[in-house]
Amino acid sequence: MNRKTTRIVLKVIRYAAVTLILSVFLFPAYWIIITAFKPMSEWNTWPPHFWPYHPTLVNFAVKGILPFLRNSLVVSSSVAFISAAISLMAAYAISRYKIGGTALAGWFISMRMLPPITIAIPLYVIYVKVHLLNTWLGLILVYLIPAVAFGIWVMISFLNEVPRELDEAAYVDGATRIQTFRYVIFPLSISGVAAVIVLSFVQTWSAFLLATVLTSDSAAQTLPVYLGRFVTGYNIEWGPLAAAGLITMLPPIAIGLIFQRYLIRGLTFGAVKG
Amino acid sequence: MKEVVMVPEKELKENLIRMHDRRIALLFILPAVVLFLVMAIYPFIYMIYTSFTNLNLSMSGTGQFIGLSNYFEIFHDPLAMGSITFSTMVLLIAVPIEMAIGVLFGLLIRGLKGERIFRLLFLISMMIPGIVFGISAQMIFNYLFGAANYFLSFFGVPEIAWFGHAATAQFVILFLDIIQWTPFIFLITYAGLLSVPQDLIDAARVDGASRWQLFINVELPTLKSFIYIALIIRLIDALKIFGKIYMTTWGGPGMATSSWSFYIYKVGVSYGWDIGYASALAIILLIVSAILVNLLIKVLNLGETLELKREG
Repeated sequence: MNRKTTRIVLKVIRYAAVTLILSVFLFPAYWIIITAFKPMSEWNTWPPHFWPYHPTLVNFAVKGILPFLRNSLVVSSSVAFISAAISLMAAYAISRYKIGGTALAGWFISMRMLPPITIAIPLYVIYVKVHLLNTWLGLILVYLIPAVAFGIWVMISFLNEVPRELDEAAYVDGATRIQTFRYVIFPLSISGVAAVIVLSFVQTWSAFLLATVLTSDSAAQTLPVYLGRFVTGYNIEWGPLAAAGLITMLPPIAIGLIFQRYLIRGLTFGAVKG
Repeated sequence: MKEVVMVPEKELKENLIRMHDRRIALLFILPAVVLFLVMAIYPFIYMIYTSFTNLNLSMSGTGQFIGLSNYFEIFHDPLAMGSITFSTMVLLIAVPIEMAIGVLFGLLIRGLKGERIFRLLFLISMMIPGIVFGISAQMIFNYLFGAANYFLSFFGVPEIAWFGHAATAQFVILFLDIIQWTPFIFLITYAGLLSVPQDLIDAARVDGASRWQLFINVELPTLKSFIYIALIIRLIDALKIFGKIYMTTWGGPGMATSSWSFYIYKVGVSYGWDIGYASALAIILLIVSAILVNLLIKVLNLGETLELKREG
């Protein structure tokens, strides 16, 4: 075999391997999507239908999903905006004043990596006492932990890219620290703030464990908790369940792909620029 | 004379600004610090206390100090040992496979036509909430109408009750974990791959290096730190596996797929309300995570990556 044929064969093998890996990895998502559009008669067929033969939208009229959708929207957007504000401020202090050094930064990392169950157990007992169980506020407060710890790293990498000369120029012109932050840093880091807002939003949107422990009914339960309650008993309504799953997974996929770059920085504590 | 006076005055002014700085910086960092102190550190301290008590929320009159009994109980509790075993399985089986496929996929698509679109498609499953994977698995691995049994029927394999046997149920959970988290490894190591200087690659090519030699001698040295970071973050996160188990096997059959996190949930919330014992289990988990996090902090080399070193 000459060099050229070898190269072509190798390329074909690579494409085949990529196609195989992608089909396996995308299969679970694909199955949610097609089931969401299948009418009842196609949920439990043998052999299974690999696409909806009679596509329908009836599954999306899921009964009772609205309060959960509302809770998810309220909790996720509150966490998104509050965490963006808190992490911008903290990142400013770290990026410009090196406050706390590596010790503080390390502490923030440990806050990000906490297993949620270790927070859930004591917080449940505390929430019983302070009447925060099954409330929006209770969920918002606890989901601020991972959101802020994540947001700080996205913001630091942003602020480190804003040239320090701009700060200095502002001081020379007689601006105070607060004014510099307000009129120089904030406008220049607005896209970073946007990234933190949407990434915190989807992170909270997808979270399950704390929401399921700290809530008990439709007053505060979020979409993933609603999905968790769905799979009980024998007659599971696969169509509506898949439709609800699709609604739950679409925002994270869209936002995650658009903000990939910042996702990497947040996930790796700025170690990988992406 | 004038000049001599001006220099110290300027220094004094700078010092004043610097002092002022630090107070403002403290003010800026305060909300984050207060949040973590109130919502995480205080609960942890409280949990250390409850781990020494027999507090049970379903029984009144509990909450007495019982010393280290909860901690001793862990060693005599086959269910706790079972859940630690399954968590270890996730760490030792799923994570290495995720590492291998994640790095391999980056090498496979590098330089192929359609690289960008392959990359995008591969990242999708990482964005999907674990709970949704659970729904998907319930359908795909269904005994009566699941696609998994359908595919296997081509090879003459009789229908498998996936969630009914320990080994197959464990396979399903590990499979889901691999599907969800391999893209994370890919995301990080691929960024590492892109950061390999092109002139090094060209030089190796000119010297007639094979693909394998190129990987071992040129790409791997750069990739190493990315691989470490991805591996440690993944190990810590693998300890948290919960939603997929909740949605599919509920830890069963028996304790076959009960992760450490899931067992704590069962003890403390879903059927025991045994906060005392759950606290002790959670403290051990917290210590294991803390050890791994310390390792991570060392590998990250924060001083450099965050430009944290103080200038001047």
